[in-house]
Amino acid sequence: MKIIYTDSLVIGGGLAGLRVAIASKQRGYDTIVLSQIPAKRSHSAAAQGGMQASLGACIKGEGDNEDVHFADTVKGSDWGCDQDVARMFVNTAPKAIRQLCAWGVPWSRVRKGDRQVIINGEKVTITEKNEAHGLISSRDFGGTKKWRTCYTSDGTGHTMLYAMDNKAIQLDIPVHERKEAIALIQEEGVCYGAIVRDLVTGDLIAYMAKATTIATGGYGRLYAVSTNAVISEGIGAAIALETGVAPLGNMEAVQFHPTAIVPVGILTTEGCRGDGGLLLDKDGHRFMPEYEPEKKELASRDVVSRRMTEHMRKGKGVSSPYGDHLWLDITLLGREHIEKNLREVKEICDYFLGIDAAEEYIPVRPTQHYSMGGIRTKHTGESTELAGLFSAGEAACWDMHGFNRLGGNSVAETVVAGMIVGEYVADYCKENCLNVSTKTVDRAMKKQENMIADLINRDAGENPFELKKEMQQIMMDKVGIFRNGDDLTKAVDELKVLNRRAKNIALRNRISSSNPELVEAIRVPKMIKLAQCVAYGAQLRTESRGAHAREDYPERNDRDWLNRTLATWKEEDADLPEMNYEPLDVMKMEMPPASRGYGVDNIVPHPDTEKRVEEIETVKQENPDADRFEIQEVINPIDIPAKFTGRNERVGRGFK
Amino acid sequence: MENLVTETGIKKSRVPAWLDLAQSGTGLVLGIFMWVHMILVASVLLGVGSFNFVAKVMELAFLSPSGRGYPIAVVFAVMGVYTLFIVHAALGMRKFPINYRQHKMIRNQMKMMNHSDTNLWYYQAVTGFVMFFAGSVHLFIMLTHPHIDPYISADRVFSSTMWPLYLVLLGCVELHAAIGLYRLCMKWGWFIGKDARKSREKLQKFKKRATVFFLTLGVLSLLVFMIIGFRHRDKVGEHYSTQRTTIEQTIITG
Amino acid sequence: MCGQAVKEKQETQDKQDIQERARTLTFEILRYNPQVKGETPKMKTYQVKEAPGMTIFIALNEIREYQDPSLQFDFVCRAGICGSCGMVINGAPGLACRTLTANYPDGVIKLLPLPGFELIGDLSVNTGKVFRAMSERVESWIHDKHADNVDLDKLEETMDPDTADEIYELERCVECGVCLAACATKRMRDDFLGAAGFMRLARYAVDPRDKRSDEEFYDIIGDDDGVFGCMTLLGCEDYCPKDLPHQTRIAYLRRKMAFAKRS
Ligand SMILES: Cc1cc2nc3c(=O)[nH]c(=O)nc-3n(C[C@H](O)[C@H](O)[C@H](O)COP(=O)(O)OP(=O)(O)OC[C@H]3O[C@@H](n4cnc5c(N)ncnc54)[C@H](O)[C@@H]3O)c2cc1C
Ligand code: HEM
Ligand code: HEM
Ligand code: SF4
Ligand code: F3S
Ligand code: FES
Repeated sequence: MKIIYTDSLVIGGGLAGLRVAIASKQRGYDTIVLSQIPAKRSHSAAAQGGMQASLGACIKGEGDNEDVHFADTVKGSDWGCDQDVARMFVNTAPKAIRQLCAWGVPWSRVRKGDRQVIINGEKVTITEKNEAHGLISSRDFGGTKKWRTCYTSDGTGHTMLYAMDNKAIQLDIPVHERKEAIALIQEEGVCYGAIVRDLVTGDLIAYMAKATTIATGGYGRLYAVSTNAVISEGIGAAIALETGVAPLGNMEAVQFHPTAIVPVGILTTEGCRGDGGLLLDKDGHRFMPEYEPEKKELASRDVVSRRMTEHMRKGKGVSSPYGDHLWLDITLLGREHIEKNLREVKEICDYFLGIDAAEEYIPVRPTQHYSMGGIRTKHTGESTELAGLFSAGEAACWDMHGFNRLGGNSVAETVVAGMIVGEYVADYCKENCLNVSTKTVDRAMKKQENMIADLINRDAGENPFELKKEMQQIMMDKVGIFRNGDDLTKAVDELKVLNRRAKNIALRNRISSSNPELVEAIRVPKMIKLAQCVAYGAQLRTESRGAHAREDYPERNDRDWLNRTLATWKEEDADLPEMNYEPLDVMKMEMPPASRGYGVDNIVPHPDTEKRVEEIETVKQENPDADRFEIQEVINPIDIPAKFTGRNERVGRGFK
Repeated sequence: MENLVTETGIKKSRVPAWLDLAQSGTGLVLGIFMWVHMILVASVLLGVGSFNFVAKVMELAFLSPSGRGYPIAVVFAVMGVYTLFIVHAALGMRKFPINYRQHKMIRNQMKMMNHSDTNLWYYQAVTGFVMFFAGSVHLFIMLTHPHIDPYISADRVFSSTMWPLYLVLLGCVELHAAIGLYRLCMKWGWFIGKDARKSREKLQKFKKRATVFFLTLGVLSLLVFMIIGFRHRDKVGEHYSTQRTTIEQTIITG
Repeated sequence: MCGQAVKEKQETQDKQDIQERARTLTFEILRYNPQVKGETPKMKTYQVKEAPGMTIFIALNEIREYQDPSLQFDFVCRAGICGSCGMVINGAPGLACRTLTANYPDGVIKLLPLPGFELIGDLSVNTGKVFRAMSERVESWIHDKHADNVDLDKLEETMDPDTADEIYELERCVECGVCLAACATKRMRDDFLGAAGFMRLARYAVDPRDKRSDEEFYDIIGDDDGVFGCMTLLGCEDYCPKDLPHQTRIAYLRRKMAFAKRS
C-alpha cells in the first residue's frame, strides 16, 4: 500500500485550497495540495467580475467601510449567515486584497480626473480624486451600497489564482495533480487524511495528515445547466458526508445567476450590469425598474433571477428552440469600455454565440451558479463534528453567505477564509500529532479497493452517464429557482430511486487505470447523495429565504426557520440523509433580522428580534462617544488570529 | 545547446547575445547588399555601357588616372562579403535541425499546421544551405576574376554555362533575403507602429513585392546576359573595354 | 389552446426542424492509451449528429457517453477560460471547448492531442507538469524582499493605471500550451523555454513591483534555450487563443537582453 505522510493535506488547488496551503507552509508545516487538475485550471480562474473589499478608493466607493460591507453581506444572506463569520470576513477582506496586491495581482487602478460611466442607463461623468490615483479601483455590483468590487478587467479570478499559485510555487508547495480524493480516513471523530485515486494510473494512495482541508469548490454540476466548471461536482463535500460524522450545512441554498448565455450556460459577469448593462425583454423593454424600482438590475442576484423568471412567465421572454430567454444589453457601454473591461465577455459572445457584444444583445437566462451550502464548519474552519477536518471556500459552509451570497463575496471568501482557516490549520498541526493505527488506514483503503473491484467486475448494470443525466434533469426541473412542495416531493422520491440504482453501476470499459467511465462511476453515487441533501433540505424548509424560494411558502419565516440545515448521512445504506437544524441566535446578532428592502415585506418575525434591536440601541446610547470599532467590540466581539486584527487604512480617512 | 556559463558559473555568458546580434547584423548587411547588388547587376538592362559604367565605378575607376580602375577593390569587397557570408552561414547553421529526429519534427510540424511563418523559416534554412555552395562558387569566381566587364560576365553566363547556377542562386537569394529582412523586423520589433498586427501584414506584403520585384529584375538581367553572351559567343574572353578601345582607335585612325 | 401550449408546440416544431436539417459530423480522433500494454496509436472515426451551437466539447462528450466511454480528453471550464482543452483541430492547435463545429463546412473534424507534451491518453496531455516547470524556471513570482512583510493594514502601493493594464494584457495567458505546440523550435529542442515562458517573464519585466534587474532576467533567458533560441516562427502569435502579443513582447525581451548591461 502506498502511503504519503504530511502535516497539512489540502484537497483542492483553487484559491481557497492554495491559500490554506500557503498559510500552513509559511508556518513551517509540511504541506501537500491535491488537485484533480493543474491548480491554475481550478474554477476560481473563471471568476470574472471581481472581489469585494471595502477599500473605498474609487469616488463611488467613498464612505465605504467594514460596517457597510457587513450590512450588505448580512442583508444579502437574508439573515441566514453566521454574523461572527461575516464580521471576521469583512474586517479581513481589505488585508487579503492588499496581500494579493503584494503577491502580484494587477488590480485595475483608479485614474484621477473625469471619466464617463453609465449609471441607470444614462451617461454620467464622475471625477476621481487626485490622491486616489493609482490605488485599487472598484466597480458596482448587485446588492451593494457602494462600489466595492475590486477587479482586474474581467479576469479577476484568473489573476488572483495565478498570483496565488505562483506564490505556492515560490514556497515550493507540491501540488499533486490529477489526483482525486475519494474517501476520508477517519476514526472516532478524528480525520487523518484521505484515500486518493491517481486519475492517470488508477492507483490508490493513502495520504496521511494531521490536518486535512477540503477546498474542492461547489456542486453546481448537480444541475444540467450550470455556469460552473464540469469538475464542480461536489466530491469534496460528498466524501465528508460519507464519513457519516461530518454534517453539511444549508445544502438547499443554491444560487442562480441572472445572466448566463443561452443555451450553454456560460456566465457573463455581473460586472456587465455593474458597469451599466441593462436587462431587456422581447419588446426591447427594460423591465427591472418595474419590479425593483430602487436597485433595478443591481438588486441581489436571487432577486433579479426570480424577477426575470417571473417576467418570462408573463410571456415576455424571447422564444428560442432552447426555451425562453431575455436580453442583456451592454452595447450602451461603448466598444472601448467593452474591449477593455469586459474583454472575456466579448470573447465568449464572439466564440459561443457568434455575436459582437458591442453591437448586439446577449441572450441570457438565470442559471445555476453558486453553492452556498457545504461542509459545516466552526469559525475556525474546522468541522463541527470531525476533528482535524477543515474546509474553506465554496466547499465549506463557513457560513458568511447564508442563503444568498453577494457577487464578489465568493472569491473574497476563498482568500479570507484561506488566510484565517490556514492559521487555525497550522495551530492544529502544532497541537496534534499523527496518531493512527495502520489498521484504520488499511480498512479505509480496502473499502475503496473493493468498491472499485465491484464496479469493474460487475457484468451488467446501470450506466453512470445515464444516472447522472437523470439526476441533473430532476434537479433542473424540480429543485430550481422557484420551488414547491409537490415538485420537491417528487424530486426527493425520484432521487431515492436513483440512489438505489447507483449501487448497481456496471462499466463497459472495464479497466482500472485512466478510464473516464470509472471516474464517473465513482462520482455519480456521491453526487446523487448530495442532490438528495439539496432536494430533501428544500422540501423540509417551508419558507423562502434568499435563494431558496418556495412558491407555496413565500414568506421568510424567522420564527420557525431562522436556522441552518445540517445534513448527515449516518447509515451507508440509508435512503435519505438525516436532517437537523442549528438555530441562529438572534440575541447575538450584530444586525438583527429586518427587511432586505426588495418587493413587499413578507416576514414572520422572530420573537427575539425586537428585544435585540432594543438591546443594541441601549448599548449605543450608553456609549455615546464610542466609535464604530468599540461598538462592534461590544455587540459582536469576534475571535480572529492576532495577525489580522489591525484596522484598515483608507485614502482620505486614515484608519478611522 | 551547451551551457554557456562563465568560469564562476554564476553569471551567464554574454556570448549568446553577441551571436544573435551578429547573426542579425550580418544578415541585415548581406540582405541590403544583395538588393543593391541586384540593382547594380540589373544595370545591364539599360545596355552594356551602363553595366560597364557601374562596374568601372565599383572598381573605383574614377580614382584611377588610366580610367581602368583597381580590380583589387573588387577583391577586397568580395573578401569582405565572403567573410560576412561565412560568419552568417556559420551562425545560421546553429539553428538547423541537427539530426534526423529534429528534421522530422519540423517537417511534421509544417505538415500539421501549414503555418506561413514556420514555412518561411524552413525556406530560409534550405535556401541558405543551397547558397552556401552556390554562393561560394560565385564568390570564388569573383575573387579570382575581379575585373568586372559586361562581355566577360555575359560569356560566363552563356558560354561557360553558369546560368543554371545563377538561376538557382538568384531564386535562393531573393527568397532568403526578403524573408530574412522581414523576419528581422519581427525578431527585433522594427517598424511595428501602433498596431503590431497590421504592421506585420504590411511588412508581409512588402516582402512579397520585394521578392517578386527582385526576381523579375534578376531573371530579366540573366536573360539579357544570355542574349549578349549568345551574340558574343565567337569572341569569348574579349573585354568590353578593350573592344571599346579598339573602336575608339578605329575612329582616331580613321 | 392557451398561449403557453401554442408556444411549446412552436418550440418543439423548431427543434424538429433543426433536427431534420442537422448534418452528420465525422470525427477522426487519435486513440491511444499508454497505460494499456501493447496498445498502439490509431485513428478512429465517430459520427455525431450536429446540433446548433455545437462545440467540440459537446460533441466529444456525446461520443463518450453514447459511443465510447473510454475516450479521454480534458475539459474544465468549457468556456475558453481555463486552458485545459488544447488540442490540434484539423491541423490547428487551439481550445476545443470554444470551437464550434459549424466552423467546418465539410463536417470532417480531425483531432490530435497537442504535440510535444507527455500523452496521458487519447486527447489528454500533461500540460500541468510543463507549466509548473516553466513557472519554476522563470521564477514566476514577484521578487521583492519586502513582499512578505508589507503592512496589510496600510494603503497599497500605487501603480500607474496603464501599467496595470499592460501587466494584465500579458497575464491573460491560460497556460493552454498551444503556443508551445505551435512552435517548431520548441518541438525540435525540448529545453527551449517557449513562448508562454517569455510572456510570463515579460509580465514580470513590466511589473514595477518585481525588483529583478535586467541582468537577473538575463540569467534566466539569456541563452539559446531562452530568448536567443527563438527563431521568430510566430506560431505562438498566430495560434494563441488569448491573443497575447507574442511578437512584440519577445522582440522587447530580445532587445532588452541583447543590450543588457553587465554589472
Ligand atoms: C463563471 C463563474 C464566475 C464567477 N465569478 C465570480 C466573481 O466575479 N466574484 C466572486 O466573488 N465569485 C465568483 N464566482 C464564484 C467563485 O469563483 C468560486 O466560488 C470560487 O472561486 C471557488 O473557489 P474554491 O477555491 O473554493 O474552489 P475551486 O476554485 O473550484 O477549486 C476546486 C479545487 O478542488 C479540486 N478538487 C475538487 N474535487 C477534488 C477531489 N475530489 N480531489 C482532489 N481535488 C479536488 C479541483 O481540482 C480544484 O483545484 C464565480 C463562479 C463562476 C462559476
Ligand atoms: C551560406 C549561406 C547562408 C545560410 C546558410 C544562411 C542561413 C540563415 C539562417 C538559418 C537564418 C535564420 C536565422 C534565425 O532564424 O535565427 C538566416 C537569417 C538571415 N539571413 Fe541568411 N544564410 C545564408 C546567406 C545569407 C545571405 C547571402 C543573405 C543575404 C542576402 C542572408 C540574409 C539573411 C537575413 C537578413 C537573415 C535574418 C537574420 C536573423 O534572423 O537574425 N543570408 N540565414
Ligand atoms: C562582392 C561580392 C560580389 C560581387 C563582386 C558580385 C558580382 C557579380 C557579377 C559581376 C555578376 C554578373 C554575372 C557574372 O559576372 O558572373 C553577379 C551576378 C550574380 N550574383 Fe553576384 N557578386 C557578389 C556577391 C554575390 C553574393 C554574395 C551572391 C549571393 C549569395 C551573389 C549572387 C549573384 C547572382 C544570383 C547573380 C546573377 C544575377 C542575375 O543576373 O540574375 N553575388 N554578381
Ligand atoms: S501564451 Fe497563449 S498559447 Fe501560450 S499558453 Fe498562454 S494562452 Fe496558451
Ligand atoms: S513560435 Fe517559437 S520560435 Fe519564437 S516566435 Fe514563437 S516562440
Ligand atoms: S475547457 Fe477551459 S479552456 Fe477549454
